[in-house]
Amino acid sequence: MAAMEAAAVAAGQDQQPPAKVVERLNPALQQQLNLDSVKTRAISLFKAISRILEELDAIARANATPKWQDVLGQFSMVNLELYNIVEDIKNVSKAFVVHPKNVNAENATILPVMLSSKLLPEMETEDNTKREQLLHGMQGLPVAAQIDKLKTRIDMIGAACESAEKIIADARKSYFSTRHGTNLLPTIDKVQATKIQEQENLLRSAVNHGEGLRVPGDQRQVASSLPMHLVDVLATNDSLQDSSGLYQKSTPPLMSTTAINNQGSLLQASGAQLIGRPAASPSGPTGSNSFDNNTTASPMQYANSPRSGANIMNTPSPQQQQSQQQQQQLQQRQKMLQQQLLSQQQLRPSSMPVLGQNQLTQLHEMPSQSQQKFQSQMHGQHHVQFSQPLGAQQLQSRQLTSAAMQHMSPNQMNQGNQLNRQLNQFSSPANSALFNAAQATPTSQMIPNMSAMMPSQSVMPRMQYAMSGANRTLPPQNLSDQMFNMGAANTGGGMMQIQQQQQHGAQGAFGNMQQSSQNMQPGMMTMQNTQQNHPNFQQQRPQNQQ
Amino acid sequence: MECVVQGIIETKHVEALEILLQGLCGVHRESLEVHELCLKSVPNLGLVSSEVRLLCDLAKPEPTWTVRHIGGAMRGAGAEQISVLVRTMAESKVSKNALRLFYALGYKLDHELLRVGFSFQFQRGTQITVAVSCVNKMPKLHATDDAVPVTPGIQLVEVTAPASSENYTEVVAAVSSFCEYLAPLLHLSKPGVSTGVVPTAAAAAASLMSDGGGTTL
Repeated sequence: MAAMEAAAVAAGQDQQPPAKVVERLNPALQQQLNLDSVKTRAISLFKAISRILEELDAIARANATPKWQDVLGQFSMVNLELYNIVEDIKNVSKAFVVHPKNVNAENATILPVMLSSKLLPEMETEDNTKREQLLHGMQGLPVAAQIDKLKTRIDMIGAACESAEKIIADARKSYFSTRHGTNLLPTIDKVQATKIQEQENLLRSAVNHGEGLRVPGDQRQVASSLPMHLVDVLATNDSLQDSSGLYQKSTPPLMSTTAINNQGSLLQASGAQLIGRPAASPSGPTGSNSFDNNTTASPMQYANSPRSGANIMNTPSPQQQQSQQQQQQLQQRQKMLQQQLLSQQQLRPSSMPVLGQNQLTQLHEMPSQSQQKFQSQMHGQHHVQFSQPLGAQQLQSRQLTSAAMQHMSPNQMNQGNQLNRQLNQFSSPANSALFNAAQATPTSQMIPNMSAMMPSQSVMPRMQYAMSGANRTLPPQNLSDQMFNMGAANTGGGMMQIQQQQQHGAQGAFGNMQQSSQNMQPGMMTMQNTQQNHPNFQQQRPQNQQ
Repeated sequence: MECVVQGIIETKHVEALEILLQGLCGVHRESLEVHELCLKSVPNLGLVSSEVRLLCDLAKPEPTWTVRHIGGAMRGAGAEQISVLVRTMAESKVSKNALRLFYALGYKLDHELLRVGFSFQFQRGTQITVAVSCVNKMPKLHATDDAVPVTPGIQLVEVTAPASSENYTEVVAAVSSFCEYLAPLLHLSKPGVSTGVVPTAAAAAASLMSDGGGTTL
């Protein structure tokens, strides 16, 4: 463009330095631009703006409110004038002038620098060196000749590139054809495409919606061995009735893994008979973390129908490392207990207070022989257990045993202790039955706690604690009062009170109990309280599993 | 929220894809083995039945559990123009008791699957995770050792990126631009939109697997 060849100044003022060749705008452009008129208009605009600024200044100094109507009117006039000027220039000056669009306070000062087309010094030197390189040997020639030479150079390079690309493409073709023996454009034949399409739909629906992955309920049998990550997640098999789980449970095959599990199965079996609670937890052939299962399961279980084959107090924890003899003894006792407590279970749905006494008496009567056996065996085992260090186990177990304790009816406390002990040891479901029997009020609220507490006990600590409890002189009446007063009270709270009365030996446990009872209000238990206890017990459970 | 696209690739090309991803992402692959349990609530527990997924990461020696809830996808004209699915998603690490908790809450196992493969997690405009996995189903409940692939010859490629409602457009752009790099090997699309395989996949895989042009013609 002719105008571009001559560098023009935006303001439209021609400069005429005498030493330099004057570069003027193309005359036609000059006319179009009408620089003189633009200049006059710009000057008048400038004057108007300065006048307005002076007025505003005066108003500000006088601290008077300006008449906004007038000010705005003046501003709009100025604005319009500016707009007109810019419009006129814009058409013509686009080629060689930059008109900033967004000028505000921030960039007003820096704009001239940014708009200047003069290169930075470094850039300028770089530019010069490059130009040197390019025009090496051509500086002297006239511009037209330089241009021609550069053009030929460019053409030569272009030609070289094209031939190189051609060679590469040829090589690629032959390379692939020798490898695959296929065409250049790979295609998938229809049959294969449809097959792939089917597979793809299968896969996508499986991943996104689970189509094709659902196993019908009747076919859902837990695999014989759960993978490692599910072993301690899913509980051992519980009741036949699932209130929430999906799986039918079958205890025997799953318990064959370890000795503990064996015992656990027996325990479970006895528990099943002893406590007719439905197991809410899904079945799984695990022996170790039955506690957890029980804890979560029990509230629901108790709320629902009686559970058959329930397994609240599942397999003993690894703490319960007993000798084989003991295990066998335990099993024998369990069986006897099962038979006796089975009858009690059926009575449970009816009013508790009446049954409490009955059941307990039944308990006491039941194995007159077994009781003796128990006691004798108990004594024998006492020694063994006393010799073991009481430690954390005791602490943990005490919660449960004390809970067990409180549920003994007053006049049968001592005997109940022993029985309780044994029951604690051998079958936690038996304990629950006892507890149910002993409680004066509906125990649905308390049972969850109980069952929560039960599993975490190991057998031996229970025994130890129970023993120590037996040696105490308990005020039975107080205990019973506490029990009945609490009503739907928190068992933990009750335990706390009982423990405070009991001074024998189990000092450590008090500390533990106190922790849990801090959340409880002794004597003012509510449903919520019991449920609140759950986290406590659950938290304490990990401690129990040593 | 997350942006997600899915695609399929034939198993024979997975190695080539891994090489390509290794080059693109610049990080090392992490092996992926996730046992996913999809739990659905029984109908009378809420207005509608809800679905929650429990993921157990089996890749590490200590399995870790995550709970994930996938919500509805963004709808509307704007959503249709985007080639990436934007949906609400909430995820959290949980303890291993989560499964029991959900069962106690009334959820039932709807289906389960096992994903085995590898994944790359890297930063390219936003954090992007590419997971290539073979999806397996278990013939018996929880039998992860006996899992068989749902589709033996095809594996799933999933590209996900976390997003929020403020920045999802940038995340979508980042994911889309990344997916273009994978174009020679596979097509990626919103979950539910089937793509088929890419015709150039074989050639692209071959060139990726080649030993760098050592062959003389």
